[in-house]
Amino acid sequence: MAATQKLYPRGTVKRIIKAQSNCNVSKNADILIFLDYMLFMQELVREASIRSRKTGDKTIGPNSIRKVTERTLRKFKG
Amino acid sequence: MSTPKPRGRRSPRESDVSESFTPIGDTTLTGLQRLPIHTRYPLTPSRLAASGTPSRRTPHNRAAAAPSTPYGLRAMQRRAANTPARDRRKSGRMQRETTFDILRNLGRALAPVSQPIRSSPREEKPEPGLEPEKDEIEELDNEPEIERPRLSLPLEEVEEQEEASPEPRPPRLSLAFEEEDITVEYPRRATSEHDRARLSMMSFGNPRLSENFGDATRLESDSEDGDDTGVEHEDRENQDETVMSQGAFDRGGETEDLGRFNFDFNFPSPPPPPADDMNGPLNDDEGFELPPVDLAQDTVPMSDESDGDAAMAGEFGLDLNMPSRVSLSESPGIVGGGLRDEDTFVVQGKQKKLSRHGIPVPNMPSGVVRKLATRFAPARAGSKAKISKATLAAIEQASSWYFEQVAEDLAAYSKHAGRKTIDESDVMTLMRRQRHINNSTTVFSLASKHLPKELLQDMRLSMPP
Repeated sequence: MAATQKLYPRGTVKRIIKAQSNCNVSKNADILIFLDYMLFMQELVREASIRSRKTGDKTIGPNSIRKVTERTLRKFKG
Repeated sequence: MSTPKPRGRRSPRESDVSESFTPIGDTTLTGLQRLPIHTRYPLTPSRLAASGTPSRRTPHNRAAAAPSTPYGLRAMQRRAANTPARDRRKSGRMQRETTFDILRNLGRALAPVSQPIRSSPREEKPEPGLEPEKDEIEELDNEPEIERPRLSLPLEEVEEQEEASPEPRPPRLSLAFEEEDITVEYPRRATSEHDRARLSMMSFGNPRLSENFGDATRLESDSEDGDDTGVEHEDRENQDETVMSQGAFDRGGETEDLGRFNFDFNFPSPPPPPADDMNGPLNDDEGFELPPVDLAQDTVPMSDESDGDAAMAGEFGLDLNMPSRVSLSESPGIVGGGLRDEDTFVVQGKQKKLSRHGIPVPNMPSGVVRKLATRFAPARAGSKAKISKATLAAIEQASSWYFEQVAEDLAAYSKHAGRKTIDESDVMTLMRRQRHINNSTTVFSLASKHLPKELLQDMRLSMPP
């Protein structure tokens, strides 16, 4: 991958998790969380592209994302 | 009952005798024929020939097994009486001849000669010759001649009557056509009511419900939604963003007042699509129409909102109960508010989303999301990863749900461990439960695959290997 100097804003991820869970987040846990988020995105986009190809679209439409969101979220339920 | 060792010997005399017994010319029915079992199967002679009752046994066996002495015959009978279920063990042919088969054969035999049922002749007028002979009582009895019921009716007439009766309603669809995924989805939504209260992710669920409610009402108009034509959806998406921030999945703002309607009156959820289906047949057949006065009262306050909606909703029988308060409170600003309590604290601003703990949640920057999406998308699409705005919005929505869900899980894990801080081990547990980490895959291998070096180093520092 293109090694961007800043892949994601660490503070934002930390704040998101902290707000949603009402817990503190330890110093480097957000890296792992973001890693998991990347896996989620990969899965989501892959499923959506499969679905959109099945319907014959070239690009991934919002509808295919929506259709696979539920399934992918359930796959990522801990 | 047959002797296990088949012998080919067969006396011609025996076969001759049996032939004289059976009219069809089955040469091999012998003592078996006389056994009481055979009377159990009420077969017509032709049937007997066709289905081959004796085919349960090979001819060899049968010839061999035929008892020639009275002792042997008696033994056979006793054996037959003792093992009544032995037929079951034979080939299934005999069992398959059910009563239905017999009736069907009968029908086949009779079909060319049978005539369609004619109606019994109408009752002639009471014979005039009898009348004057009756005494007064008889005359009293006779005064209104009750029409005799007709004994039989021809088929055509019955059909006519059925056609005259009101048309059967079309089956009510409990689900929309195009949502094939939703079969899994609905029970889950139904069971997790508290989930809905818990996660604002389920705001995903709510507009969808109302959307379905609306879907049944305009099945034909909206049925093309299943196939994605991108342009149309982008339009809808933009429209949604103006209307409500959270429920990006509501379609065109057309049905949310129905959802609100459902919410206000505590109908059993999901609301059965009530009047829409029966409206058509009712209107068609019986000329039933809603009283125009009520219609006027109701449609007038609603007419200022979404245009096609008022017309559509006016057809609803249920809308007659809808108080004008609902429609008055309908302003585009708080459209999403009536659906659910959680939606009320979702303020319209971009960054102002609150978590269920009341803490403002920042959004994942859309640049990052788009970067990730394009990174994962184009692998085989030929590096032409066009993530449109609507798609990006959908992905962002999905990722915000994802973070919500993940945060819940992580909080549960850390709380279970007695901590107040979400630790790396919690995330490890989560990933292990997501089957991302197993014996062959470690966090580090995943991280080295996906993360840049400096993050990897941070991670390695913070985690004991």
